[in-house]
Amino acid sequence: MSIMDHNGGSVVAMAGKDCVAIASDLRLGAGAMTVAMNFEKIFPVTDRIYLGLTGLATDITTLRDRFRYLVNMFTIKESRSIEPSTFAHLVSSTLYSRRFGPYFTEPVLAGLERTPSGGFKPYIAGADLIGCLNFAEDFIVAGTASDKLFGVAEGLWEPDLGPEDLFETISQTLLNSVDRDAYSGWGAIVYIITPEKVITRTLKGRMD
Amino acid sequence: MATADGGAYSYSLTVFSPSGKLVQIEHALAAVSQGTTSLGIKASNGIVIATEKKSSSILIDDSMIEKVAVICPNIGIVYSGMGPDFRILVTKARKSAQAYWKIYGEYPPTRVLTQEIATVMQQATQSGGVRPYGVSLLVAGFDVNRGPTLYQVDPSGSFWAWKASAIGKNMTNAKTFLEKRYNDDISLEDAIHTALLTLKEGFEGQMTEKTIEIGVVTVPTIAELEEGKVGGTTGRVKPTFRKLTEEEVRDYLAL
Amino acid sequence: MPDMSAIANPQQRQFNPYAENGGTILAVAGADFTVIAGDTRQSEGYSIQTRYASKVFRLTDRAVLAVNGFAADGNMFVKKVKQRLEWYRHNHAKDMPLRSIARLIQTMLYAQRFFPYYVYNILGGIEEDGTGAVYSFDPVGSYEREACRAAGAAQSLLQPFLDNQIYFKNQTAARGYSHPAHLPLPDVLSIVIDSFTSATERHIEVGDGLEMYIVMAKGQTLPDAVTNLLPEELPSTGDGERVFVLKRDLKKD
Repeated sequence: MSIMDHNGGSVVAMAGKDCVAIASDLRLGAGAMTVAMNFEKIFPVTDRIYLGLTGLATDITTLRDRFRYLVNMFTIKESRSIEPSTFAHLVSSTLYSRRFGPYFTEPVLAGLERTPSGGFKPYIAGADLIGCLNFAEDFIVAGTASDKLFGVAEGLWEPDLGPEDLFETISQTLLNSVDRDAYSGWGAIVYIITPEKVITRTLKGRMD
Repeated sequence: MATADGGAYSYSLTVFSPSGKLVQIEHALAAVSQGTTSLGIKASNGIVIATEKKSSSILIDDSMIEKVAVICPNIGIVYSGMGPDFRILVTKARKSAQAYWKIYGEYPPTRVLTQEIATVMQQATQSGGVRPYGVSLLVAGFDVNRGPTLYQVDPSGSFWAWKASAIGKNMTNAKTFLEKRYNDDISLEDAIHTALLTLKEGFEGQMTEKTIEIGVVTVPTIAELEEGKVGGTTGRVKPTFRKLTEEEVRDYLAL
Repeated sequence: MPDMSAIANPQQRQFNPYAENGGTILAVAGADFTVIAGDTRQSEGYSIQTRYASKVFRLTDRAVLAVNGFAADGNMFVKKVKQRLEWYRHNHAKDMPLRSIARLIQTMLYAQRFFPYYVYNILGGIEEDGTGAVYSFDPVGSYEREACRAAGAAQSLLQPFLDNQIYFKNQTAARGYSHPAHLPLPDVLSIVIDSFTSATERHIEVGDGLEMYIVMAKGQTLPDAVTNLLPEELPSTGDGERVFVLKRDLKKD
């Protein structure tokens, strides 16, 4: 069994119309044994960027702290908040700096990018454990249920979903995928990011 | 202790004089004020930086001399003072811009790059075994966060943002001239002409496309910016800073 | 000069009697029909051996078998099942009932317990009581009757999608309503087609073509929405169940 699967867990992000969503399960395991059902894997980076980390739990925690430090330094030094595309490259270069002794984690990020005309554009991206970026226009999946998430998301996702429809789509995608994955599940959390506000919802899922 | 040559304090630049001065920095500023005049003007739709390029002999191939330098597609700098010191700073600034690109996938905002250069220059005032850089710089650039911005950096490592400034020989006269000519809604074309007029004030010899160097920042339209974001990972960024060609300089001088 | 290292060092060679030929299969049972589908790509590693190799076979007027895994084993297994069904017809003067075919398949698979057919089977059709049925098997004969099942290369992509769309898993019915136990045929067909286009999009071993077998219970006719899709009717022996085939192209890249 791969070290990436030891703690289990999955994350999915989706783009909608003027909004994005990111969701994860809440399980923390040690192999087949479940250790905790409240292990969050998605962290706010700015008001409009959320970062999801799957893989080895210790690296998730370490990287969360590391990115918090890097983003704080950026914000102070440049006296502006970081944009999703800039943050995606920061994630990529941080992971690649450990090319030959990587953090065992696959990041997924979702945010709204400020456009030159003053609006917001949905922005989602994913990367492998050494920082190879994947810019998708529909959805990004990662974690032990990634193949299931690919299948369900490919079937359920459609373009230009509004915040509530996107919430329903990402929730159904996540719940049905983790229900077929022994290493993911035990509750879920969903973030919907719109220009006005971020909606956070905790989902009840199967606990077996 | 006190001698005619500046005394013991003038040798080790890490030591303050009793009056609170680092005299090596003052000497560096003196070197700057002997350098050829450079100036920068921020216009409503861009920035111009210009300098006079003087060669000591007609036998020198002056096409080799480069006093306005491109640092990255959105930032250019010009200097007054010591040419070799400038060259070192240009190399460091370019490396810094590329290092930023490697981390963030975009070029640094003007202020960040200016701060980076200023830090290098400050470190030369505090480290052992080195002397301060004998140059002042004008940094002109564009970024989406602050738009077009013009900074001046001095040998001490201090920097300020300007609407218009001049450095080097005749800087006081040039600044007085600029103060009279400047207004907030000057266009880039007018600013380029004002720059040439200002240089002309203290110019020795003939002003030609061979003895003038000009760099301009142009503010992209919103449509151009939106386009620039598309394929930003593979496509190259459209430059917002460029140097004027000799032909363009000649045309401006002819007007 | 001869290679002396071959003499100096012990060497081991082994013949691997199995291959994995990709592709995916899927079956959904309705109240009075069953849909059994499979893609037609056959691959080995990253190479496509053929873009048209059937994985779904009609056994009787009311039974269709889909086989997935090692193609050679699959084809041989179908051949042997068909042979056993023919013997049954000669002995009993009737087709074997679906549930008996399911049990026969278990016996045949378990007979090879220590050199298994490397095949995942899904049997679909109509039971004697006229209901649609799907039986799914593992390579050594464990089996179960279900309402829907995906197997093969894209099983992990499709099964959770079917859980959601067929079983309405994680969906709550509106107050005073309940989810239907069985979906109508047109709905099932669109879910099957969507499933395979999704799997084709995200799995390299799935694609090229799609074959959907529709088994209708005795006395049932195809809804207009399905007749409009112009399915081919396979010749049947009696006036009972009817079998239709519907073919669709899938992406070939």
